[in-house]
Amino acid sequence: MTELSPEDLEAEFDMFMARAGVALPADRRAGVLAGFKDLRGSLHLLRNGRTAAAEPSNVFRLTPLK
Amino acid sequence: MSERLEDLSVAEAGRRLRAGTLTSEALTRHLLQRIEDLDPKLNAFITLTKERALSDAQRADAEFGAGKDRGPLHGIPYGLKDIYDTAGIRSTCHSKLRVDVVPEADGFAAQRLREGGGVLLGKLATHEFAIGGPSFDLPFPPARNPWNRDHFTGGSSSGSAAAIGARMMRIAMGSDTTSSIRGPAAFCGAVGLKPTYGRVSRRGVFPLSYTFDHCGPLTRGVEDAAIALQAIAGHDAGDPASVDVPVGDYLRDLEKGVAGLRIGVPRHFYAQAAAASPKVVAGIERSVALLREAGATVEEITLPDYALFAMCCRVIVSSEAFAIHEADLKARPLDFGAIALQRLVLGATFSATDLVQAFRLRRELTAQVLDVFGRYDAILTACVLTPAPRLDEFSPEKPDAVTQTLPFTVTGLPAISVPTGLSAKGMPLSVQIAGRPFDEATVLRIGRAVEKLTGWENQPFPEP
Repeated sequence: MTELSPEDLEAEFDMFMARAGVALPADRRAGVLAGFKDLRGSLHLLRNGRTAAAEPSNVFRLTPLK
Repeated sequence: MSERLEDLSVAEAGRRLRAGTLTSEALTRHLLQRIEDLDPKLNAFITLTKERALSDAQRADAEFGAGKDRGPLHGIPYGLKDIYDTAGIRSTCHSKLRVDVVPEADGFAAQRLREGGGVLLGKLATHEFAIGGPSFDLPFPPARNPWNRDHFTGGSSSGSAAAIGARMMRIAMGSDTTSSIRGPAAFCGAVGLKPTYGRVSRRGVFPLSYTFDHCGPLTRGVEDAAIALQAIAGHDAGDPASVDVPVGDYLRDLEKGVAGLRIGVPRHFYAQAAAASPKVVAGIERSVALLREAGATVEEITLPDYALFAMCCRVIVSSEAFAIHEADLKARPLDFGAIALQRLVLGATFSATDLVQAFRLRRELTAQVLDVFGRYDAILTACVLTPAPRLDEFSPEKPDAVTQTLPFTVTGLPAISVPTGLSAKGMPLSVQIAGRPFDEATVLRIGRAVEKLTGWENQPFPEP
């Protein structure tokens, strides 16, 4: 995964907030941004080269109606 | 010297209630007085339900007198984390956004406890919406640790843990999405039981993460936890996650000991963790040695990297929590406390693909941990890596930095936190024991053995 510069990370963060429609108060932005940077650096852990057959855990199950 | 009714176990109090040597009203009045004396220093309660408690207690006494017995919790005082809906009693989630919300109906667990004849003492503090932190910008102050009021209770079931640690009650219901029963229990010297996902209905409990929310008790002792679980376990069609599996007898084998049981210890989780306190590690190793001496086979095992569990959990919890609170986060963000807001909005930064990958990872991790349970009856590891830190050391950027609870959150397996001793500064130490799906009985049995072998069952508690 390409490393983003701190400026690009901040721009990405602001885009996420804007897309979500959240107007984050200025005095709270730094704290959220720090958490975002920490998470962003670990997202690769979710991707491990699994095959297409590896389904998520939340597949939907139906049972016959009685 | 007056009798210390606050130290009576649930079972012992029940025996005395049935023998007529104690009334529920006397027990309840004693605890209400204790709460009125101590709570101004600890902030465990959001709403003290004194009239309801006395009414419940008087009814229990009358029913005992008439020969009616509703079961092990009949006449026993308890508290509910303030994310549990209670009919006619405000359920605030410790938040400005719900400060006036009064539900019309009890949730499932609240109903079970009421119908079982329990005595509701009140609604207990929490981290805001079960995700914030110890905050001073909310309508109610944060709970304080009874072992040292300058220290963190853990969360989010902060008031539940404080109430148990301060001996205001023997049973306080909590909820656990990442660590919120087990972590605060560990910090406050309580027992914290997260049952298997689906064992206890979450109906009527304000959600944080549909995938990981669990309801369960914090208690003074392991036997108390077994009794509480017996009362609240069972299928409920009103909770989509509830599983229709027979409820075990959680008391039958509680005193059986650990001889013949096989316990795996993922030492790499805690011994290699940068944040681990040597005293915590030594406490776990001591418990391992005691369990071996008592006849258990205890072997070191390897589980997937802890960071995988952590990332899987953070993505799913954050995404689901944002979805739950999305409308309020957009419309009135300043009505959230700073810590809850900071943690909740992170859910907007994950993509749909991130979430799908997290769910795929969850299936893989669960399969790997279940494979271990083909060879072992239980897993024993750290619950928290340090004794309770100071309140001012809490970091909202790394809220789970010192907990080790996430493997059993992600897998949904039953897990219990049991106190084992005290640190040099007099703060509780603990271990965590996890078991096979729906095998809470074995988890409780090993927990009870740890409680006895370490001598914790005779540990004096401080007067806050």
